[in-house]
Amino acid sequence: MSEIHRTAHLADERERLWIALYKDAFPLVAKFISNRGGSFEQARDIFQDAAVIWYEKRAGGTGFQVGSDKAYLFGIAKNLWYRKSSEQSKFLPLDSLADTALNEQEDEQLATTRLMNLLEISGRKCLELLKSFYYDKLSMTELAEGFGFRSTRSATVQKYKCLERVREIVKQKSWCYEDFFE
Amino acid sequence: MRTSLNEIQQIENHLFKKLTNEEEVLFQAKLLLNDDLPEKLRSQKKAYEVIQAYGRKQIMQELESAHRKLFSSPEHQLFRNKILNLFRR
Repeated sequence: MSEIHRTAHLADERERLWIALYKDAFPLVAKFISNRGGSFEQARDIFQDAAVIWYEKRAGGTGFQVGSDKAYLFGIAKNLWYRKSSEQSKFLPLDSLADTALNEQEDEQLATTRLMNLLEISGRKCLELLKSFYYDKLSMTELAEGFGFRSTRSATVQKYKCLERVREIVKQKSWCYEDFFE
Repeated sequence: MRTSLNEIQQIENHLFKKLTNEEEVLFQAKLLLNDDLPEKLRSQKKAYEVIQAYGRKQIMQELESAHRKLFSSPEHQLFRNKILNLFRR
């Protein structure tokens, strides 16, 4: 019960963070993109991609301060927009070598997505724990508290056990995908 | 921690470049001597990619839900109008 409460509390907190970020920084991004002939949907996509990058750079650092990060996020969004515009104006590489490289990258991404979908069904709790540490960069103390471990020591052991489990599934499945892609 | 978990920790420290020079040399030697280790290293690297993909997917879902809320619920009407006006041509 208390664990559910904590998780729900965290989800609420995160929703507040995203709404605050949207209200603070989205008008600036939307104005920029609209001035350059972009659509509302393009502004949404660029903003969301920029927010992911912003989050990954900020996670585990000094914490999230929406107000002061507005300019930083806007800078990321501008770069994404310029990159996307220049990609569209270039000719697509059509030689077979580039195609192969692209296909390999796509296969690799497809394999990652398939593994993730599989793990979401068979090991969501482990995936959540690992995400909180490696992606959200929570400290071992926060992790122990959030997931109800008695000590950081037992949280650490559980983290490695989960990693072992995920690694084992990756190993088993990678054989299947190699067969599939070859 | 049991041996296999210590090994996972060591692989992690190698991948995240947290081993000292001495430990790294030792790890490279183990990679040559231990037949299973290169495969474990490869799978563990992929495991981190899967965790990152999962983290990104979650964030995208959270952002999409915030977007839906801002562009549909009455309490955010002012904000919504301000944005939508930018795209009225």
